[in-house]
Amino acid sequence: MIRSLGADLMAISPELPDNTLTMAEKHAIPIDILSDATSEAIKKYRLWFAVPAEVKALYLEKFGLNLEKYNGAGRWELPVPATYVLDTSGIVRAGQADPDYTVRMEPPEVVAALREIVGG
Amino acid sequence: MSLKDRIAEFDAKRNRPPEIMATIRRGNEAVKASGAAGLQIGERAPDFALPNQRGEMVRLSDRLSKGPVVLNFYRGVW
Repeated sequence: MIRSLGADLMAISPELPDNTLTMAEKHAIPIDILSDATSEAIKKYRLWFAVPAEVKALYLEKFGLNLEKYNGAGRWELPVPATYVLDTSGIVRAGQADPDYTVRMEPPEVVAALREIVGG
Repeated sequence: MSLKDRIAEFDAKRNRPPEIMATIRRGNEAVKASGAAGLQIGERAPDFALPNQRGEMVRLSDRLSKGPVVLNFYRGVW
């Protein structure tokens, strides 16, 4: 649906480039999965945060999750989960950002914003 | 089913103890208080160039010259 409206979809995370997929698998993924290994873009978009100490302890002790394994040494940092719909001038026409990862922009809202942009 | 409902269903199945949920909630509040609020509607999105899963550099401004772009910032695959 997003593509049929002429739009491109990109996913950005702070993770280091993934080494677990084969090149064939990487080619089969129809969207760009971008690695922001220095958090440069995440900071520019004002989404960067250091994982709070008690959450870090929870991840390590209860979830067995060491972010450094994914993000690299010393990088206990994440983006606020966010979605932005950009028109061809790069202007944010719709979007949402919320530290609560269960609050996301609904896909129909993304499609509606794109329809408005392309006049479809 | 909306994405919100699907996430709620997924979360309910995990059935996390209240003290864990409380820690996560306090963490989310701390992040909100830090001012990491993202871009505003109507603002111009900053340009960037980042490698994709095949190691190719992707520049936002190049993509925007071809059409609208949906950007999704996510925390990771874990």
